[in-house]
Amino acid sequence: MQARLLLVEDDERIRQALGLALADEGCDVVEAASGEEALGRLGTTPVDVVLLDLMLPGMDGLDVCRTLRDRGDLPIIIVSARTDTADVIEGLEAGADDYVTKPLVASELAARIRALLRRRHGTGEPRRSLRVGDVEIIPDEDVVRRAGREVHLTRTEFRLLVELAAAEGRVVTREELLKRVWGYDYFGDTRLLDVHIRRLRRKVERDPDEPECVVTVRGRGYKAGTPG
Amino acid sequence: MVRIVRLTLRRRVAAAFGLASLVVTGVLAAATWNLAGDYMLDQREMSAVRQAEVNVRLVDQALRTGADGLDDLLSGLTSDSESTVLVSRPEGWITSGRRVDPAALPPPLVSLASSGVADTERIVVDRVPVLAVALPASVRPDVYIELFPLVELERTMGFLGLVLASGVAASGLLGFALGAWTGRRALRPLTELTTAASRMAGGDMRARLPDYADRDLAALASAFNDTAEALEARVRQDARFAGDVSHELRSPLTTMANAAAVLRRRRGELAGTARQALDLLLSEVDRFERMVVDLLEISRHDLASDETGAGGTTTELVDLGELVRMVLDVRRCTPAVIEIEQPAPLVQGDRRRLDRIVANLLDNADRYAGGAVRVAVLHCDGRARLEVDDAGPGVAPHLRERVFERFARGDQAGQRGQDGGSGLGLALVAQHVRAHHGTVRIEDRPGGGARFVVELPTAEG
Repeated sequence: MQARLLLVEDDERIRQALGLALADEGCDVVEAASGEEALGRLGTTPVDVVLLDLMLPGMDGLDVCRTLRDRGDLPIIIVSARTDTADVIEGLEAGADDYVTKPLVASELAARIRALLRRRHGTGEPRRSLRVGDVEIIPDEDVVRRAGREVHLTRTEFRLLVELAAAEGRVVTREELLKRVWGYDYFGDTRLLDVHIRRLRRKVERDPDEPECVVTVRGRGYKAGTPG
Repeated sequence: MVRIVRLTLRRRVAAAFGLASLVVTGVLAAATWNLAGDYMLDQREMSAVRQAEVNVRLVDQALRTGADGLDDLLSGLTSDSESTVLVSRPEGWITSGRRVDPAALPPPLVSLASSGVADTERIVVDRVPVLAVALPASVRPDVYIELFPLVELERTMGFLGLVLASGVAASGLLGFALGAWTGRRALRPLTELTTAASRMAGGDMRARLPDYADRDLAALASAFNDTAEALEARVRQDARFAGDVSHELRSPLTTMANAAAVLRRRRGELAGTARQALDLLLSEVDRFERMVVDLLEISRHDLASDETGAGGTTTELVDLGELVRMVLDVRRCTPAVIEIEQPAPLVQGDRRRLDRIVANLLDNADRYAGGAVRVAVLHCDGRARLEVDDAGPGVAPHLRERVFERFARGDQAGQRGQDGGSGLGLALVAQHVRAHHGTVRIEDRPGGGARFVVELPTAEG
C-alpha cells in the first residue's frame, strides 16, 4: 500500500529526516513547511493522510487542523513535541484522528498511518447494518442516521461507533477499543479515546451530558446503550 | 537526662496570664487578710482590756472589803462569758470560769503584772487560742488575769481566709482561661499562616493570606504573600523552562532517531570501521533517546503535580488486571506464570503512568535478570498488589532502597553502557507509585531472584 502523506513541519531537519525514513517505510511523502503551504498543496495534490506539527509559523497547526476537518474527513495525525494533557486534548478536539509525540520514529508513525488507512478503507467484506437506540449504522455505505437524518462522522468516530454497536451491549474495554480502532499496540494513553468518545457523543447523542448510545461502564470501558 | 518540655506559645500565654492574675490577687488577698486580721484583733484586744479594767476594779473593791464576796464576784464575772479569770494571791490562785491550769500561763506575763505592769498576750491554753490580759491589782503582789477566748475571731479569720483563697484560685483559673482565649485570638493569624504555609508545602501555590486591618499583621501577611508570589512565579518559570527544554530536546531527537532509522536500514552498505562506528552511533542514539524521554517524564511529573492542583488531573478508574494483561500483550512478554486475581482490583489513577510502572518493572527484569518469570495482580489487605518476579541474581538488601534513586544501577554501578537503560526506569516507577499514594519495594523471590512489589490503594466501589 503506497500511501501518500503530506508532512507539515517547519523544522527543515526534522522534515528531511522524517521524509527519508517514511519513504523507507514505503510512503510517498509530500512536504510543506507551513500551514498555508500545506493547504495550498492539498488543493493540487490528493493525499491519504496529513501529518501535522502544531507549532507552525504563521497559521497555527490547530487552525490548519480545524480547517481541514471542516473540509472533510481527511485523516490527520498530529505530530507534536507538546506532551501536556491540555495540548493533546486540544489537538484532538480540533479534529485530529491521532496524536503522537516527538521523538518518534518513522516505523511507529507508519504503523499508525496504516491503521488509519485500514479504518478508512474498511475491511472489504459486506457487513449488516447496526442499530443503537435511534441511531442506525450502515457500514457498507459509511452512513449513520439518527432518527432518519444523516449524521456526519469522521472515519475514526465511525469505527468507534461500529465497534461498540457490533458488541451488542457487551462491554468493550478501553484497551480493546484503542487496539481495534487505532490498530496500533496499546499505548496506555486513553486521552485519545476520551476525546473521540466525547466528539462521537456530541454527534449521535440527544443530550451528550446524558449519553444513551455510548454508555460509560465505570472502570471497565464502554458499551452501546440498550435501545428503547 | 531531663527533657525540658517546651510549652506551645498559646499555652505559655495562658500560663503567664494565669500566673499574673494569681500573683496580683494573691498579694491583694494576703494584704486584706493581714489588715483585717490585725484590725479585728486590735478591736478585740481593746474591748478585752476595757472589760478587764472594769473587772479588775470590781475585784479590787472585793479584795479591799474582804475575801468573802470574791468567789461570788468572780463566778458572776465569768458566768455570762467564755472567759476565765485568774487571781493570783499570796496564798495561791483563785480561778473562775473555764478551768485553766495557772501553770500553763507564761511566767513572764505573771511576773510582769505582779511588778505592776499591765500586759496583753495571745497565747494558746489547752489548745484554745486566748487573749490573756494581765493587770496588777491595787493590792500587791496580787495579779488579775483574764483569758478571753479567741475562737470566734479565729473562726471568722478562717472563713475570711477561705473566701480569699478561693477568690485567688478562681482568679488564677480565670486568668488562665482569659490567657488561652487571648492567645487563640492573638494567634489566629498565625494559624492562618500555618494553614497557608502547609497548603503551599502541599503544592498549592495559590495559597495566600487575607488582608489584615492590623498593621503588624498586614506586614506579616504581605511578606508571606510576596514570598508566595515569588515562589509561584519561580515554579511557573521552572515549569515553562522544563517545557521549553522538553520541546528543544524532542525536536533534534526526532531528526536523529529518524536519520538513524534510515542509516540502520542501509547498514549493510557500509563495511568495517564505518559499520562499527555506525553501530556505536545507533546504539547511543537509542540510549540517548530513552534517557531524554525518561528525563522529560521525570521533570514532567513535577509539572503534572502542579496541573493536578489546578484541576487538570487525568485520573480515572483503572482495572489493574486488564492493564497488566495489555502491557504484557503489547510487549509480547510471556512470563511462565501470570496470576491475576478475579475480580481484579480497581485503582483510581493515571492510566499512562500505571502503564509505565508495569512496563518499567518488566524492562528492569529483562535488562538485569533475564526477564520476568511471574507477574501477579492480587488483592492484599484492601490494597491492590502488583508483583513482578524475576529469577536473576536478586537485589542485595542494602541496595533495595537505592535502586529506586535516579541513575542508580545496583551492583553494576560504574559499568554503564552495557545495558542501554536510561538509569531512570526504577526512579520513574517509584515516582509514579508515590503519585498514586502507593509503595514499591523489593523482596526475595521464593526460589531465588527478586520480587518487585507495588502496592496501591484500591478505588472504592
